[in-house]
Amino acid sequence: MSQERETRLFMISPRSMLTPDQLVRMVHAFGAAAIVKETCYGCLVEGPRELVLDILSKVRETYPNEVFSKVRAYPCSDPRRCRAQHGTRPGYAQLEEEWELLSRIQYGLENIERGAKYEAPAERKRIPVNDFKRICEVQ
Amino acid sequence: MKIFIDPPNSLVLFDLVERFGHEPLSAMAAIQERVDNLEVDMPPMNVTLDDVVRGLKYAGVEVPSGIRGRLAVWGPLIEEADAAIIMDDCPYSFGCVGCERSNLMVKYLIKRRGIPTFHVSYPETDEQAVDFVAQTREFLEGLE
Amino acid sequence: MTIKIAQLSCGTEYSSVQYEIEKAARSVGAKIVYPDVSAADIDDAVRRFGFNPRSPQLKLMIARAAQLADGKYDADAVFITTCFRCAEAALVRNELRRFIQENTRLPVVTYSFTERLKASQLLTRMEALVTIVTRKELLARERQTGITVGIDSGSSTTKAVVMENNKIIGKDWTPSGDVVASATLVLNNALEMAGIEMKQVEAIGTTGYGRFTLGDHFNAKLVQEELTVNSKGAVWLADKQRGEATIIDIGGMDNKAITVRDGVPDNFTMGGICAGASGRFLEMTSKRLKIEVTQLGALADQGNWRNAKMNSYCSVFGIQDLVTTLGEGKRFEDVAAAACHSVAEQVYEQQLQEIDVRRPIIQVGGTSLISGLVTAVGEVLGERPIVPPDSQYIGAVGGALLSSGLL
Repeated sequence: MSQERETRLFMISPRSMLTPDQLVRMVHAFGAAAIVKETCYGCLVEGPRELVLDILSKVRETYPNEVFSKVRAYPCSDPRRCRAQHGTRPGYAQLEEEWELLSRIQYGLENIERGAKYEAPAERKRIPVNDFKRICEVQ
Repeated sequence: MKIFIDPPNSLVLFDLVERFGHEPLSAMAAIQERVDNLEVDMPPMNVTLDDVVRGLKYAGVEVPSGIRGRLAVWGPLIEEADAAIIMDDCPYSFGCVGCERSNLMVKYLIKRRGIPTFHVSYPETDEQAVDFVAQTREFLEGLE
Repeated sequence: MTIKIAQLSCGTEYSSVQYEIEKAARSVGAKIVYPDVSAADIDDAVRRFGFNPRSPQLKLMIARAAQLADGKYDADAVFITTCFRCAEAALVRNELRRFIQENTRLPVVTYSFTERLKASQLLTRMEALVTIVTRKELLARERQTGITVGIDSGSSTTKAVVMENNKIIGKDWTPSGDVVASATLVLNNALEMAGIEMKQVEAIGTTGYGRFTLGDHFNAKLVQEELTVNSKGAVWLADKQRGEATIIDIGGMDNKAITVRDGVPDNFTMGGICAGASGRFLEMTSKRLKIEVTQLGALADQGNWRNAKMNSYCSVFGIQDLVTTLGEGKRFEDVAAAACHSVAEQVYEQQLQEIDVRRPIIQVGGTSLISGLVTAVGEVLGERPIVPPDSQYIGAVGGALLSSGLL
């Protein structure tokens, strides 16, 4: 992975009360030498990889389960990606769908923090044919 | 450990893999290398002609170019991966995962690689999401 | 004004062709745009369209087309493109083309690409799209008025036509040599035949490879690529100006297949992949049979290609097949028919697969005068093409017709 430049999407879960504006102001307040760009879903942060990861961990200190992130291949405002230049690229629809899913992931993370565990569902078996017959007869 | 995520551009899987202490191998990072390292002013979108030709390693010339171009990006990641997480029954997949045939091939390549692979179902409800996150964490934390 | 071309596509960004597409658009003063859709609209659009592909990117294409059809997104033209050899995408591409045409007045062209994208073909498509947008009113012209001249400077022949009040009154052709000298010769002969003085000519339209040189030399009012001009000429000559049609032009060196709607092209394939699929192959066959190429058609019509089966289409190995066949004592008629059939079959396999052949089929160009080839094309396509009178003059007629719109 490139150590030079990292561009990351910071996406706020729709279940969160945090706004993109608040998130951007928070990142600015860290005083880091990174590019921060407010977007409809949160913000884009661009800078040297270590710096961007540092910003992410600081954001997570305050908002552990409601800000999600992934890297973005293209730098901020790259005309090939920029929506304002020509409309949305195909991956935009994917982001839109994943944004909605974040609400549930946030719920999942919060519950796990409170100790929720995965329990395998009881194995579903077909009822014996005689039991089924009895039910049918009762009906 | 290096974890291949499928869909390879998934924000949710990328985030969870990183959150639980591993390195996600994603389509974005692979394309970033191409974006940053090409010595041309305006490189082609996502992949180069050489990539598409390299895709012949995974699929023959009778296979559409878009599939070979995708496999040229994902194939090496799968080869590099120590484990994989696959989100099954994804109701959405656009952009680089917009081609269903490519997506099928990726699952097959992961299977052939024989690395620890975890299939998780797309969560439709909050309760399923708890299971989704718990299972994913369990898998990732159990990898050593 | 920048023309906005809406791109509906699958696979371009992973075939290394997206940049080429954008470059081609820019070079003709256009810009590629993507109609915005919300993820929530995608399923509805697919349901409404009625074709539910497995690949999500194709679903997205459908949703973007629906935005255009509903007038929610503003574009001037549509470019639909998908990977070559993808069956799912080919079905969606063609049906979306139809959907856009039925629901909008936007010009649309389609293209199937490989990573070895043919930049010149792409450019011609973009140029034609822009022409169709910027010259919409001109292309709608169905009658020629006044006295005008059309000159078609092709790679093998140069043709000129003089028209007056929607009639051809003078015409001539010659093998292409020096662009200006060849054009001057055929123009003078056509004027003489028409009994018209140059000073009476109100407008000149030029097309074909030499169009720019001739446009300057003759101070032409119209200088335009052959795609739109030839389409116009073909439907005028065949009197099929309304509705759909397919124009097939098997040339000496390259072939064109153009689909039109109301005389305006919406898709075409153009290729010279193989000499075996061209008029040149028929010339070579004639030479081997020791007849003039003009006699080949009639000879072929008397034969049966099934009696002289060829195992190769290639202009080298195919001719070898012919020699062997002749050696076996086959009839010349059957061999001529087999040669025509071989060209027709190749054009069908290599080019017509990329477009959606629509009826009627209009066959034009010099080779349309070889009746055996027309028979063979008809047999391959299941319907005998219409060969309009003066079918070799389509470009010149289109030039004369369209230039009269600029008077």
